[in-house]
Amino acid sequence: MGHTIAEKILGAHATGSPAKAGEVVVARVDSTMIHDARADGAFAAVERLGLKDLPFAKNTALVLDHYSPPPTVDAANTHIEMRAFADKYGARLFDVGSGICHQLMPENGYVTCGAMVCGTDTHSVTYGAFNAFGTGVEGTDLSVIMATGKNWFRVPETVKVVLTGKLQPGVWAKDVTLFMLGRFGAEGLNYKAIEYKGSAVAAMDIDDRMTLSNHAAELGAKAAILDADDKTIAWLKAHGAAEPKPVTADADAEYAESIEIDASALTPQVARRHLIDDVIPVPDAVAQKISVALIGTCTNGRLDDIRQAASIVRGRKIAKGVRFVVTPASRAIYLAAEKEGLIRDIVEAGGSFDSAGCGTCVGITNKLIAGDRDVVITSANRNFQGRLGNDESAIFVSSSATVAASALTGHVTDPREMEGGQWRAA
Amino acid sequence: MEGSMSSNVKINGAAHKFGDNINTDVHCSNKYTPGKDVDDVAEVAFSRLDGEFHGRFKMGDVLVAGANFGINSSREFAVHVLKKLGVSAIVAKSYGRQFFRNAINNGLPVIECDTDGIDTADAIEIDLATGKVSVAGKSIERQTPPLPREVQAILSSGGLIPFLKEHPDWSLK
Repeated sequence: MGHTIAEKILGAHATGSPAKAGEVVVARVDSTMIHDARADGAFAAVERLGLKDLPFAKNTALVLDHYSPPPTVDAANTHIEMRAFADKYGARLFDVGSGICHQLMPENGYVTCGAMVCGTDTHSVTYGAFNAFGTGVEGTDLSVIMATGKNWFRVPETVKVVLTGKLQPGVWAKDVTLFMLGRFGAEGLNYKAIEYKGSAVAAMDIDDRMTLSNHAAELGAKAAILDADDKTIAWLKAHGAAEPKPVTADADAEYAESIEIDASALTPQVARRHLIDDVIPVPDAVAQKISVALIGTCTNGRLDDIRQAASIVRGRKIAKGVRFVVTPASRAIYLAAEKEGLIRDIVEAGGSFDSAGCGTCVGITNKLIAGDRDVVITSANRNFQGRLGNDESAIFVSSSATVAASALTGHVTDPREMEGGQWRAA
Repeated sequence: MEGSMSSNVKINGAAHKFGDNINTDVHCSNKYTPGKDVDDVAEVAFSRLDGEFHGRFKMGDVLVAGANFGINSSREFAVHVLKKLGVSAIVAKSYGRQFFRNAINNGLPVIECDTDGIDTADAIEIDLATGKVSVAGKSIERQTPPLPREVQAILSSGGLIPFLKEHPDWSLK
């Protein structure tokens, strides 16, 4: 019997030969990330370990993204501790305004094909877009990895998802993950690794692939790993990654389940208030009025998201009563958007930009608290009740294109019906 | 090591039963009440699910739940609260992935098995070495695959950090 990508990567980092789903292995970890909302826990665990040196902290990125800039004294003090920790142990600090951890990790060469990458955040599955095993862990895990370079892992079973055909213009990876959530339910693939394959994945650009892997967190996935191709290798090399050595699954690998989805038939999707798995096609949701439109987060704050939005709102005005905020996932994206004139397009249409970071994703950042009866449409990843600091508001989740189209009309809108909504990179 | 493990693998306590999809970030952490410490949260944990919980729970008791205990909650803080309460083990049909890791890393045994038929106040016994869960008063006996040897060793040390202090090279010999 052959092996899945997860079995191969975990095995290669443990014994040197493929592991088997269900086994517990002690595996090397190549790089790690701690963000500011979890730093306190990680530092407390480091204290309990009581070691003088953390020899593997040099492979750790400390990212100030949730509280960027800090909205409270506690957050500001955490940032002071993080700066001191980075200096003391030789970790690299990404200060306020640098961007979101899951964007900065690949942008700064911490991720490559076949790598084991752990972060203190469930969306660490994003790194699977680059054929790495990326997974979320907590402070204790991070402290022992910085000390020993290793951790224990249960090798997950893998679900193979083949996306056949090709996404229509105006339909994006986010629509795929929302469709998956509607089908499997939130946490419906709890503990599983996902391998996404097929012509529709091959056709996706890197930004969209990152969304595909990232949003698998809401399915409960431990990892969401894509095959590497020329686009992956070129991107990694351009961002200073270690030599990419792609890992592929064997033809006779054993999967917990194999499913096929016809990507060509997929329409834009939206998750309705409070439930990320209450998903319906956008054309069935157009009666829903919205008052806040948000683009950003580690799921959909990349350059292609901003391009989609600018293409739709360019030369027009957003609807009366709608607040439209875009938050780039990193400073590099911010600058690229500026260079392409996208910031002007969006701001002239009535939108506004926030500095790079987690921004309007969750109420704890204090970037945006929704009012009573506000209905938010966002390209973020979660919409449970109170996520934006107010139980009386509602959050709908969609692609960035759908958010931008909805900002123009004031109700949930299919981007395929808007001028510019068919945009895709040439 | 093996010897010391087998001496301390049976857990006995009264069961406290919860349903499916218990989000420990909501019911047992300070995620939405920043600034509250473990003691503060321990005083109110689970009270929204079960108003009687705090009057009834005794140190060493066992939480019993349906599917997906700890779902959607990645915060280690929740396990610190459970330890503070004195929870000796959790038995549930399944767990949120990160919660499961956090429990083991903090020395809290988590057993996956069918929990139908087990109710609040039942006297439950868990044998970690054999993976057997039983309620003698109801003739319930559930056999589960025992936790992997590595996980048992981490639990037996009291969590991942004490384990590494005993085994700095991760050796299980």
